[in-house]
Amino acid sequence: MRRLEEVLKSGKFAVTAECGPPKGADPEAILKKAELLKDKVDAINVTDNQTAIVRMSSMAACALLKQNGFDPVLQMVVRDRNRIALQSDVLGAAALGIENILCLSGDHQSFGNQPQAVGVFDLDSIQFVQVVREMRDNEVILGGDALSKPPKVFIGAAANPFGDPLGFRVVRLAKKVAAGADFIQTQCIYNLERFKKWMEMARERNLTEKVYILGGVTPLKSAKMAKYMKYKVAGMDIPDAVLARLEGVPSKKQAEEGIKMCVETIQGLKEIPGVSGVHIMAIEWEAKVAEIVERAGLGPRPTKGK
Amino acid sequence: MITATQKPIDEIKETISPYKRVLVLGCASCVAECAAGGEKETGILASTLRMAAKMEGKEVTIREKTLDRQCVKDFVVQMDDIIDEYDAVLSLGCGAGVQAVAEIFPELPIIPALNTEFLGETRDQGFWVESCVGCGDCMLYYFGGICPLARCSKQLLNGPCGGSKDGRCEVDPEVPCAWQLIIERLERFNAMDRLEKIFPPKDWSKKQGQGPRKIIREDQQR
Amino acid sequence: MDIRKRSLALFYCQNVPQSGIKQRQALEKLYGPSIKLFPLPCSGRLEPLHLLRALEEFADAAYVVTCPEGACRYFEGNLRARKRVELARKIIASIGLEEDRVGIVMNEKERQKSLADFAKELMSRVSGLRPSPVLRPRTGFEDPERKQGDKL
Repeated sequence: MRRLEEVLKSGKFAVTAECGPPKGADPEAILKKAELLKDKVDAINVTDNQTAIVRMSSMAACALLKQNGFDPVLQMVVRDRNRIALQSDVLGAAALGIENILCLSGDHQSFGNQPQAVGVFDLDSIQFVQVVREMRDNEVILGGDALSKPPKVFIGAAANPFGDPLGFRVVRLAKKVAAGADFIQTQCIYNLERFKKWMEMARERNLTEKVYILGGVTPLKSAKMAKYMKYKVAGMDIPDAVLARLEGVPSKKQAEEGIKMCVETIQGLKEIPGVSGVHIMAIEWEAKVAEIVERAGLGPRPTKGK
Repeated sequence: MITATQKPIDEIKETISPYKRVLVLGCASCVAECAAGGEKETGILASTLRMAAKMEGKEVTIREKTLDRQCVKDFVVQMDDIIDEYDAVLSLGCGAGVQAVAEIFPELPIIPALNTEFLGETRDQGFWVESCVGCGDCMLYYFGGICPLARCSKQLLNGPCGGSKDGRCEVDPEVPCAWQLIIERLERFNAMDRLEKIFPPKDWSKKQGQGPRKIIREDQQR
Repeated sequence: MDIRKRSLALFYCQNVPQSGIKQRQALEKLYGPSIKLFPLPCSGRLEPLHLLRALEEFADAAYVVTCPEGACRYFEGNLRARKRVELARKIIASIGLEEDRVGIVMNEKERQKSLADFAKELMSRVSGLRPSPVLRPRTGFEDPERKQGDKL
């Protein structure tokens, strides 16, 4: 059975982390990052040209991780590929032994280093989830042609509990669940109160019984980073109190304070009914994931059941 | 309407530079409404080009004319009598206008003076906004009259994405989030249930099809 | 310096003081063919094409004189004129003509000037321009400094 799925099904609080592939063809770069996460997390997300900046393909990086004994989550955005390429890559990923796929819209191309690129968006993320589910469970592609062998992948999707309008955020989660998402990884949580409200609405719709929700966290390295995320990064909700707390400590100690706040958030998440795990996105700070996992009382990770 | 904007004058000068007798041809329909290629703009461009030619000491004839519609054959043939006086036509029509004129006068270079932009509306004086992509299968009913294909930066049919904040698009805070507008409209009509279903992937064959799309209506034919 | 050495197309709102037909004829007599006067019912009626045509056909410069800001009989005619003048300035700059060959002058609320005041002021301002490179090949207006002794 797929490792992430196994942990989640056993009812244990799952831990996933994230690795960004390098801006180059160097396989060591991604393996070095992954090494820092070894035995600390259940699966490693590999981002797909995040912020629309060209990097080593997520698929290739996942294959490298797989060859080296890691369990990757292949992130796939619908920004760059039409339905032919997406379905083809799902089959390719499964053939390479990749067992988890996270279906995303992707950051808009205007943000990155190829702003003149066409944005494909042939499918949206919800339709993509549905397509992968059809491929896996009904062994067909769009249009109904049968597959010789279905891709047996664990299907993920993202959710942003902090986007507007709040009421529709849960409708959108319900649509992702109906489309076939097995697990959800959320946007970074700094506003735990709003997240709780969103979870409550999800529970009212019985969504937490149908999908595993992993709360997203990103440790803040400094007040400067917090400010940047608060004002410049789309879809981010950083309350004034969070910023004030970081600004309240000397700059040398802000990183430690950021880790502490991250650990507190994870502990908060563990108490919320329906939250099945945590997704730690330590942006270019993978070295700290082990410490965060340890201090949040999530280590050691369960060993492989296979 | 079809909207357009004028190309930079240097690009226009460059493309007409081989020709001695140029007809600057306006169009009194869509591009007049968006103040890019109507009679006024045609006059201004022709006058500007004549001045530029004089400054450079070039002996050229540049005259202007504006048709009611460049994209309709019946109007274009009005030029039959005068077209021999010119080596080239500088068209202030949209892309369709330029090609329609070229179809009727195949011997003559028809040069575009405008960049055709989008199908849009005049929201205010001097302000035009895109609102239709011409997909061939209108879905406005489901979305409260707001088209997510034209107005959502990611063309999401099951939106909104995670990036909208305070009703604004992540791509540009000046741009209202189409999905915020859709939800507000549907809430007003008590029709939010229309969004609960998953909209299937769009059938783009109705837009892209095989080659240029055609509409044939026998009842309209001569 | 003879302020008549350049030609001016002067568009003006008819609500500018002392801009009736008699005053106009007096100015035409005073400045001769160096000036062409175009009354407008309101400066808001001015189109960029008017200014360009003047430059193309006979004028070294084309200016418009309007009522004071906030005192347009049609509320915003002079504000519109300002935008159109701005467009015309951009257009001539795009082909390498000096922007100052086109301009707008608004009257002052406190100290209203007459059409004759404006004509004098603008003729003087324009006399500092080099001859228009648009007109030069056609010698529509001669440059006294180029043709010595020849006074228009």
